[in-house]
Amino acid sequence: MKTTFAATLVATTALAGAALAEQHGEKMTIGITQNNVGVDSYQTTYERAFIEAAEANDMVETVVLDAGGDVARQIAQMEDLIQQEVDAIIIWPTNGEAVIPAVRKASQAGIPVIVTNSNIAEQGFDFVASFSGPDNITQGARSAEIMCDKFKADGIENEARVVQISGQPGYTTAIERAQGFEERLPEVCPNVELVETQPGDWNREKSQQVMEAFLVKYDDIDGVYAGDDNMGVGALNAAKAAGRAEDIVFVGATNFAVGYEAMEAGEYWGSIYQSPVDDARAALQTAIDVLNGEEVPFLNYFDTPKITQENMGDYEKPVF
Amino acid sequence: MTDVTPDKIVSPVKEDTPVALQRRKLIAQGAIWAFIVVELIFFSVAGEYLSVSDKAFMDFENMLLLLKQSAPIGIIALGMTIIMINGNIDLSVGATYALAAIVLLDSMTWPWMQALGDSAIPLAWGLALLTGMALGAINGLLVWKTGVDAFIVTLGSMLGFRGLVFMYNGEQPTSHLNWTLVDFAEARFLGLHTATWFLLGVALLLWLLMTRTVHGRNAYAIGNNREAAVNAGIRVGPHMMINFMIIGFLAALSAVVFYSESGSVNPNDGMLFELWAITAVVLGGTKLTGGYGSVVATLGGVIAIQLLRKGLGHIGADTQTVNLVIGLILIAVLFLDRQLNRKGKQELRT
Repeated sequence: MKTTFAATLVATTALAGAALAEQHGEKMTIGITQNNVGVDSYQTTYERAFIEAAEANDMVETVVLDAGGDVARQIAQMEDLIQQEVDAIIIWPTNGEAVIPAVRKASQAGIPVIVTNSNIAEQGFDFVASFSGPDNITQGARSAEIMCDKFKADGIENEARVVQISGQPGYTTAIERAQGFEERLPEVCPNVELVETQPGDWNREKSQQVMEAFLVKYDDIDGVYAGDDNMGVGALNAAKAAGRAEDIVFVGATNFAVGYEAMEAGEYWGSIYQSPVDDARAALQTAIDVLNGEEVPFLNYFDTPKITQENMGDYEKPVF
Repeated sequence: MTDVTPDKIVSPVKEDTPVALQRRKLIAQGAIWAFIVVELIFFSVAGEYLSVSDKAFMDFENMLLLLKQSAPIGIIALGMTIIMINGNIDLSVGATYALAAIVLLDSMTWPWMQALGDSAIPLAWGLALLTGMALGAINGLLVWKTGVDAFIVTLGSMLGFRGLVFMYNGEQPTSHLNWTLVDFAEARFLGLHTATWFLLGVALLLWLLMTRTVHGRNAYAIGNNREAAVNAGIRVGPHMMINFMIIGFLAALSAVVFYSESGSVNPNDGMLFELWAITAVVLGGTKLTGGYGSVVATLGGVIAIQLLRKGLGHIGADTQTVNLVIGLILIAVLFLDRQLNRKGKQELRT
């Protein structure tokens, strides 16, 4: 009886103490300025996951902003967040270089900056607490491996010709995914030729038009590498309309639901599994860890595995 | 009979007698500033409840920041005002802005420019501004010599100039981060940011141009009635060309001010700037048909838009909502404007 009482007392005191600590502990205010939320399903899901993760955490308040793809607007939002004296800023850069002075301003104001999804250029690294996101170069490189492995399985690794549909011009993500692919492909399949690269602007319709032009221009296309599955499926649709989809291996650099479905249908070969939910949670967690004074690696990558028709059963369909 | 005929000829002039013009000007200019006051009150009150920030929206620093953030579109919108008073429009300003930015940043990486050290900076500015003026001159010359509507000419040049932007450096951003330049752009003189000084300076110069010079008076005359202006001996073609050079220069100046601070230009930068500039001009009460408008009211329009963006962000609304609200307000303003004018005309008739 006595012990129970004592135990209860201890437990309640501990609970009260914890509650007290929580009340008195400063709530963290974290501001985020995103790239362009409305433009694709990845960014839309990212924003939703970010807000959900923030709401689930009582210690965190967030200011969620979106630059709408406009650099000037993003810099203004950075200035606004600095002015509002938030505790940390998460930025999804519209331009990896143009935002550097704004990031410096935040760092000079003593506000840690966490870059999410696509990193800023090296000159700005001094002003950044951590980068949280996928490794786009690895994603591009792994896409090259997927494509090469498939060519080898089909026995055409010495003659195959590949076209590339890249993401929106100017975006670090687009540049790095292209770079990773272009560097890795000759290493694993030295005789495969990348014949042409055109931007598809992360847009399915644009990508379809680009592929239509490729199909007219080249009689022999064995592989299409797209900056993401949205564009990859656009290219697939163009090839299907021309009746040439059967002969072409489609690989994307990020798996989307449309790509997953096309893989189920056996029309699309493979991609890289990158979850915007993981991406958003990782960014928020990195910011919280930085504010709590924990050691955080400067390049805080989350893993993005390969997904092909062969192993897709291990992965759930992407929500975006 | 003799009563009716002179009255018909005189009537457009009568509408623009100094007193009537002054009154209309006051209403139109007052409206935008009243709107700004309403926005300030709304966001201050709503901010108390909805914002997670402890800082008040009307914080002095925040208002200074507002002026600074208005500069990129503001400088262009001020120039757009005189183009629209002419009865023209310039859709190519966004592309001109991007091209001038590329010239600014890329020229500083040329070996002989780099050899000059920091004295290359004013030279790079000069090159960018010259680029803007040259592009504006092309627009002006085409409008003057071909007689094609400015809407079509600048629609073409918008696409053409944007093409040049992509030809310059493909899809890659053009970058040159120069900390001296950044420090200059971030500097503050008498509390105001560098960009704010440029915005206010341009506003003052254009206001003087439009209200104190023959060129300004001619601009209104041409917008009101081009034929009458020609008959009155105004050289309409060269006049328009000068105005297009002014806006080309200002689009480049806007780029110079902005990219001095950011140091990198995406090939897509400046897209839709023409529409934001036109929105600001129209919010300020300038007529799309020309002949009427005010540089000062445009400054109000620019500030009103930036206030909306900033204020809605402050209370936690997303970007799509911001665009929706600005769109609705624009339509409401045009509708109100039409109603007011109709009333004005009826008053004149009686």
